[in-house]
Amino acid sequence: MTISLVAFVILLVMVFARVPIAFAMVVVGGVGFALLRGWGPAGAMVGNAVFETGLNYSLSVVPLFIFMGNVLAGSGIARGLFSAADRVFGRMRGGLAMATVLSCGGFSAVCGSSLATAATMAKVTMPSMRRFGYSDSLATGAIAAGGTLGILIPPSVVLIIFGLLTEADIGKLFLAGIIPGILGIIGYLLAVMVAVRLKPELAPRVRDVHPMTRRDAVSVTAVLALFVFIMGGIYGGFFTPIEAAGMGAAAALLIALATGGLSRGALWTAFLDSATASAMIFAIIIGAEIFSNFVTFAGLPDSLSDLVENLGLSPWVVLMVIVAIYMVLGCFLESLSMILLTVPVFYPLVSNLDFGLASLESPDAVLIWFAIIVVVVTEISLITPPIGMNVFVLRSVLPDVSLGTIFRGVYIFWMADIVRLALIIALPVLSLYLVT
Amino acid sequence: AEELIMSSWLPPKHPIVVNAFEPWAKEVEKVTDGRVTVRIMGKPLGSPPAHFDMARDGIADITYGLHSFTEDDRFQRARLGQFSFLGDDAIANSKAYWKIYGGELDAAGEHEGTHLLGLFMHGPGLLHNNVRKIEKPEDMQGLKIRVPGGYVGDLVSALGATPLFMSSTEVYEKLSRGVIDGVAFTYEAMTAFNLVDYIKYSMTVPGGIYNTTWFFVINEDKWNSLSEEDRAAIDAISGEAFAERVGQAWNDADIAAKKKIGDKVDFYQASPAVVSALRGVASKLEQSWSDSLGDGYDGAAALAEFRGMTGVEVK
Amino acid sequence: MPDDPAPDMIPGRTPHRQALWYRLLAGVAALLIVMLIGVTCIDVIGRYAFNRPFGGAYELTQILLAALVFVALPLTSADGGHVEVDLALHLLPSRVQRLLGRLAGIISAMVLGYFTWRLVVIGLDQLHESTRSASLGLPMAPLAFLAAASCAVSAVSMILRREES
Ligand code: NA
Ligand code: NA
Repeated sequence: MTISLVAFVILLVMVFARVPIAFAMVVVGGVGFALLRGWGPAGAMVGNAVFETGLNYSLSVVPLFIFMGNVLAGSGIARGLFSAADRVFGRMRGGLAMATVLSCGGFSAVCGSSLATAATMAKVTMPSMRRFGYSDSLATGAIAAGGTLGILIPPSVVLIIFGLLTEADIGKLFLAGIIPGILGIIGYLLAVMVAVRLKPELAPRVRDVHPMTRRDAVSVTAVLALFVFIMGGIYGGFFTPIEAAGMGAAAALLIALATGGLSRGALWTAFLDSATASAMIFAIIIGAEIFSNFVTFAGLPDSLSDLVENLGLSPWVVLMVIVAIYMVLGCFLESLSMILLTVPVFYPLVSNLDFGLASLESPDAVLIWFAIIVVVVTEISLITPPIGMNVFVLRSVLPDVSLGTIFRGVYIFWMADIVRLALIIALPVLSLYLVT
Repeated sequence: AEELIMSSWLPPKHPIVVNAFEPWAKEVEKVTDGRVTVRIMGKPLGSPPAHFDMARDGIADITYGLHSFTEDDRFQRARLGQFSFLGDDAIANSKAYWKIYGGELDAAGEHEGTHLLGLFMHGPGLLHNNVRKIEKPEDMQGLKIRVPGGYVGDLVSALGATPLFMSSTEVYEKLSRGVIDGVAFTYEAMTAFNLVDYIKYSMTVPGGIYNTTWFFVINEDKWNSLSEEDRAAIDAISGEAFAERVGQAWNDADIAAKKKIGDKVDFYQASPAVVSALRGVASKLEQSWSDSLGDGYDGAAALAEFRGMTGVEVK
Repeated sequence: MPDDPAPDMIPGRTPHRQALWYRLLAGVAALLIVMLIGVTCIDVIGRYAFNRPFGGAYELTQILLAALVFVALPLTSADGGHVEVDLALHLLPSRVQRLLGRLAGIISAMVLGYFTWRLVVIGLDQLHESTRSASLGLPMAPLAFLAAASCAVSAVSMILRREES
């Protein structure tokens, strides 16, 4: 246990010294493995991890779901979603921010990544909110928070990776994310209402910002159709969740070409962004694999299980401790690395606990519920300082807004997330209703 | 004490982990008076196909796995145990496999860099599907069957079905969605992978339609670093003794699975026409395997000896 | 549109480059994505429309995916697209910041160099054993050598990028 903790500290120091997190994990994991086991075996282990991660069939969803989102992002569909959502809330104070939240939720239904959702929606919603005098903090807060829904509302790259780590049914994980995702939208909408009630100067009252055009209606229909195509294809038994990524990408390409919203330059960018983002994600997966092999070897999962057993803690206390650990890690770790590093450690622990979920008649109920809890804490980590990836993405899309401004705007959404997390923990049925 | 690290990729509750590898690990500690212990990792240190090389390269000390997962010709003679009509009892199968492949077919030569702790097989392999009962050879036409690779793939495709390859954890997704019509699996795998609701017919032939062969090895340098006394003590509970232990675990798992499945699936013996079609294809594949072994190894004689030991008659 | 920051890329870094080698690799990566999509479509449509699934789909997906990841790795490295954190650095003097940046670049390059070496070892091993994929019988060694070359190019670009900044 001590060795693992020391390794974690060294990892954090390297990360803060600007070593890319993927390579920092390789260095700490590889050297640690070598010290315990010898350099020859460590080298072979590293080589295997690099070569075999690329050959992992199920990970083909990573480039394909990302490509699907990028194609739609480049095709102007996000703008249509925003206009339509604006029709719903247009007359209320803070209506544009609420429309932002809702359209983020809509885009999440066709995009597997939170970062892509936040970046895409920022480009569409930020100019309007600025033009009508919204404060930068509320505007960016709504985008950063709304963007996190990308990994909870299916399709989701993170849920798929959770499924791979635990051999859970990915189809069920996708279904389980829907209600908590809708809950997230409602929570964020309420957060906007509360924010503008407390500080009316955050958002002026405006009306009819975007007249709804035919093009907008087409966009909304296209997103709905694509979501139905993907989920219907999976649950109707036409293709597996893995194949859904390839089918969804093809359908998105067809939609974009048919509606004529995708320029050649935008298509090229979608390809390039998807390729580079995939390599970035795979580098992290490789690093996490090497690091977690070392941690497993050093005996961390075993000692944690022993610890829990010896302390005789109740299942709920164990769960609360795990959630607390996630909240702390979520401050410092990048989301994907966090999941890759922690799930193999915590999942065996949680799967042996009895929460009395047997009544829900699903053998993997605990696992699915835990997956949703993990995704929600991961969403929270995306907007928690100092390392909140969604906030960083917004910074890159909106270079003139300071990190401080974004984090100031995010806190009210963060509180909505805490309430949602409490609900999801207290009421497992929220995650499991659609599954059983 | 010297702690040996074992990497295990099967689920921790899999019958052969619980009833064969874990008891073996405990036994090692006992027979060496605590001088050698075995720690089974909670998470594998690499993918299942990598497990042989992992022991050879010392990533872990001890590993197990399927010969057919390794995608090269290293385990050519290991295919002895993958053919049809070899035996219905996992204990007899594993003992024969250990004796013949481990003996005259020189298994050690194909497992260079490691020391053999065990060579084993499971109970009879069946052909499960959810489309139709296979009454005559033509009924195989057009079925999409997941196979573990190698011999079964050739067999299934020679009979007119389409063999498809995928990892065993993908089978549930693909079978429940109709991507595949059936799968070549054991009784035990039907329950282990939750397939019972998606299978209607399971065909068997005397001695099994196919089998898979497994290695159980320790890194050679690590092995040689143990004292002669400890090596002798560990060898005594490995090899044939382990074949007995793991065979028992497979048999028990098959019995438990059959009990659990009950009459939810129609288990039936292949008709004489289907059996003779299988034989025709199988003997050709056996012959070409035997021819490929080269001088010094007689595959056909080894197969005959194997069937003699397990009591299967092939006319 | 092409000048927009990439949605999944990490902030504050240079946008995609225009160098010839970069555009060439990017073109190959785009082709690989199209092929990945194509394999799935042919498999799924084939099995419903014509009851003819594509037997090699699983394996081809694996190989195309690995090829895509390794072709794209030098692009990500040249873009400075790996996830890194420079928050605490603002507190340090700029000379120290530059030093740390260069150090991080060297560490990254060393990791990638190590990957190169290990992948060459794997490739030689596969060449020696003539390892082939299970269903399509494709030789695996070229893929390992492609991966090795990709890591080598990425290592060089990690060092060069640090010199520029
Ligand atoms: Na999503
Ligand atoms: Na964070």
